[in-house]
Amino acid sequence: MSLLSLLIFFPIVAGSLILILPFKQRESYKYIALATVGLQILLSAFIYFNFDGNAFTGIATQSNYQLVERLPWINLDLGSLGKLQIDYFLGIDGLSMPFLLLTSIVMLIAVISSWEIKANLKGYFVLLMLLNTAVMGVFCALDFFLFYVFYELMLLPLYFLIGMWGGARREYAAIKFFLYTLFGSVFMLLVIIGLYFSVIDPETGSHTFNMLHMMNPANYVDGSIFSLVGNQQLFGMSARLLGFIVLFIAFAIKVPVVPLHTWLPDAHVEAPTPVSIILAGILLKVGGYGILRICVSIFPDATIDSAWWLGLIGVVSIIYGALNALAQTDLKRLIAYSSVSHMGFVLLGIASVTAEGISGAMLQMISHGILSPMLFFLVGVIYNRVHSREIGDFKGLALIMPKYTTFIMIAFFASLGLPGFSAFIAEAFSLIGAFTSESVNGLLPRWMAIGGSLGILLGAAYLLWTLQRMFFGETILKGGESWRIKLSDLNKREVFALTTLSILALVLGILPSLAFDKMNGSVLELIRLVSLK
Amino acid sequence: MQEFLPYLSQLIYSGVSGFAHLIPEIILTIVFILVIVTDLFFPGKKSSAAFWVCIIGITISAVAVYLKNPGLIRISLFNNSIIIDQLALSFKLIFSAVTILFAIFIRYNKALQNHKKGVGDLYMLLPAVLIGLNLMSMSASLLMIYISIEMVSIASYLMVGYASATAKQTEAAMKYALFGSICSAVMLYGMSLLYAFTGSINIGDEAFLTGLSLVSEPAVSLAMILVLVGIGFKLSFVPLHFWTPDVYEGAPTPVTAFLSTAPKIAGFALLIRFIEPFTLFAETHPDKELFDFKTALTIVALLSMIIGNFSAIWQNNVKRMLAYSAIGHTGFALMAIVSFSDQAFTAILFYLGIYAIMNMAAFMLVDRIEEQTGATDVRDYKGLGKILKLEFVCFVVVLVALTGLPPTAGFVAKLFVFSAAFQQYSISESLWTFSLLIVGAVTTVVSLFYYLKIPLYAFLKESESELVPTRKSNGIIYVVIFLSALLIIFGLFPDILK
Repeated sequence: MSLLSLLIFFPIVAGSLILILPFKQRESYKYIALATVGLQILLSAFIYFNFDGNAFTGIATQSNYQLVERLPWINLDLGSLGKLQIDYFLGIDGLSMPFLLLTSIVMLIAVISSWEIKANLKGYFVLLMLLNTAVMGVFCALDFFLFYVFYELMLLPLYFLIGMWGGARREYAAIKFFLYTLFGSVFMLLVIIGLYFSVIDPETGSHTFNMLHMMNPANYVDGSIFSLVGNQQLFGMSARLLGFIVLFIAFAIKVPVVPLHTWLPDAHVEAPTPVSIILAGILLKVGGYGILRICVSIFPDATIDSAWWLGLIGVVSIIYGALNALAQTDLKRLIAYSSVSHMGFVLLGIASVTAEGISGAMLQMISHGILSPMLFFLVGVIYNRVHSREIGDFKGLALIMPKYTTFIMIAFFASLGLPGFSAFIAEAFSLIGAFTSESVNGLLPRWMAIGGSLGILLGAAYLLWTLQRMFFGETILKGGESWRIKLSDLNKREVFALTTLSILALVLGILPSLAFDKMNGSVLELIRLVSLK
Repeated sequence: MQEFLPYLSQLIYSGVSGFAHLIPEIILTIVFILVIVTDLFFPGKKSSAAFWVCIIGITISAVAVYLKNPGLIRISLFNNSIIIDQLALSFKLIFSAVTILFAIFIRYNKALQNHKKGVGDLYMLLPAVLIGLNLMSMSASLLMIYISIEMVSIASYLMVGYASATAKQTEAAMKYALFGSICSAVMLYGMSLLYAFTGSINIGDEAFLTGLSLVSEPAVSLAMILVLVGIGFKLSFVPLHFWTPDVYEGAPTPVTAFLSTAPKIAGFALLIRFIEPFTLFAETHPDKELFDFKTALTIVALLSMIIGNFSAIWQNNVKRMLAYSAIGHTGFALMAIVSFSDQAFTAILFYLGIYAIMNMAAFMLVDRIEEQTGATDVRDYKGLGKILKLEFVCFVVVLVALTGLPPTAGFVAKLFVFSAAFQQYSISESLWTFSLLIVGAVTTVVSLFYYLKIPLYAFLKESESELVPTRKSNGIIYVVIFLSALLIIFGLFPDILK
């Protein structure tokens, strides 16, 4: 069994163990989950240190992927149409490797914050482990069918995690999330089928779901719907552009970008803290990763054609998300909207198709994957103590919760892009990419970069204003004295989780090469692929 | 009479030699008689003897079907009124499996078991209806089509009315019988027209097809539509779906499970048999189009998907909801029929096989939950997920499969059907086929909305009453667990089914 399979399926084993343990042992569930995630961190750290970013540039060549595992999985003879061939095909390159480490770290934080879950522990941890498997699988899969299976497998555990352990409007939030995502992915399925019938595996001569073959224009059948040469039309539009748009919408719902973001504030706010952490920390990245791995790599021509629009959507998301965050009175909603704003930089960076832009987008995803769990964790802390998240209910928290305030300040300043933290480098690179794009490849106009920087300014405004309203001044709490007693400062478990995240954000801010070195080769390879078109 | 004399020996010979290929059906006939006799002499408390004879007999006939499987090419028997090929054999295996599940379901259903009539007569109907279903998948002449449909219909009328106690149940039985007989009368009229046009009842005959091509097109279309009405009643596609919700709700749950599965699948088999000669004819004579099945079925498929799925949203009775969703599934499977190719047949067989598992499991769960708690309305499922854990976990698996999401077999089935339709689109580039794909995708999202109502009430909402239902273990739950496990296993390794 290879390393990646172990990483993916170990949580399932742990989940089954939790499932068969009797109810009396329910205290042990969280330790099993913790041990599982601990092992995953060790594994993914091992993978990280042994990953050679310059040798394993991945993208379209199988030999450039590390830890490749390719086994025949489904082989069905379909009569006149040859064989249905689906491989169990895993591998990592610079685009996917960082997310494995990120996923295991975010999962660790989520498990730590799951200490507060009291009801129905067995179901909770089993679903959490199932979700863990699905996410790891999405980042490792190189066969589109396998990718889709993992991608859809994420939905059901999340539906129940939000719906059963969430807040007051959890039913609405859960179904909204599910319907939005499924809407995107059902149409994605149609494009997958279209790609399947368009692409031939050069080794066996039958149709294939292999993503790497889909990236090579030579493998397309002449006259097939997505063939590059034929330029098939659908509704007066190039079929390839349409395919790209459908896939992009599916992933853009996940990212999410304005105007497909409306599920996010509901889902994030209603979800229990650990699930908000996973949602913001990893699942939004699945969208960004999907755009890079699938939309851009398989449809490079359409990417170039629609880069301007992608950039525009990115800038709109940045500014619209930030303006919305400014208007929120609920702290968790504010952070949810700030996610929309920050993920806009990812799209802007990708749209620039420059080395700086895409590296920036990747780093922004990692950085946001560290900072947003921290922010949601912090919101969870006060919500658990007094069951309120209204900004107006608190004033002068700094006086009674000094440790908490320290971490809030770290998280807020890191998020607004203070130099020294990861978000600064990430946003700076995305903006540099967007700015130079006009002179390098002429895809994005300069004003988009300027629009993006406006978002940073707005980010500073809503975060600092919140800091001032909630933490400074004399202590006035809505719940009076009883709240003051309940609002105890952070305990050791919470300090541990928050310190880990702060250190990560700081280290990546000071030594961004830790991430850049690993992914640079793949980013350059991706740009080469796109510019070939 | 005299003129037939020279052919008589040949006719008799072909008749007798044909019986060798009908061993499964002959076994079923014997089982049918055996079940009656057994139940007469050993009624027992639960007609156990009849149950076992029925199960074992059907299994033996299924084995006989299976043994025929390897290397069989197409054979026609009895002057081409019956065709046996791989497709028919696969369909027959599905029918046998569904019938066995139905028998087990009857055995564990309290309402039927406690009925004063007992269940012996119901077991007796099973081999009989199975013969009808098998014949439906093999019919190649108008007469055979009519006889087989009627065999299944008459048995179904009896089943629906079997335990009718309330007005609603009686209404369902009456509605079903009336609607069914009208449909078959209409179909018979259509057949008589076809016979009048051609002088042959054998749809595979060259004379039949060339005869039709000489008749004016509107007349042929009328006759075809009339015949399709009869088949459509079995398939319950729109606009012949009106009977389904009432009948499904009113009939005993095991009967509903059976009716929404086996006759429907048989309807598909029959449809394939019926269209096949016309498609071959259209390929060899491209200038003469007898009847545009593709467009007609596309429209029917679109309507069934849209009306079935959208109507299901408004249902709160779980059985009614599943009835409407079954209409949607019919529409979806028709998508593969429209593309009419070898690959489409593989797709449709896989889809219907999986559909049989999902549907039987879903109704078993509905019945089990009703027996435990008395809940038939989805709103009464509130908070039950925490009490009937096993049942509802299985239910979620089944519903995910019905929606068509991985990692269940429902997804693979959906993928196959989509692929078949896509393949058809890339050949024909017709906007109709494209709209099938789009509507198929959209209605999948719609179906999620109502399927998820069940876990929504069972798990997400808290129960208001403190009533704890009595939990009684019951063998049916093991069957359901087995079926749910199958759905996941076939979803991960669909090769097993080949």
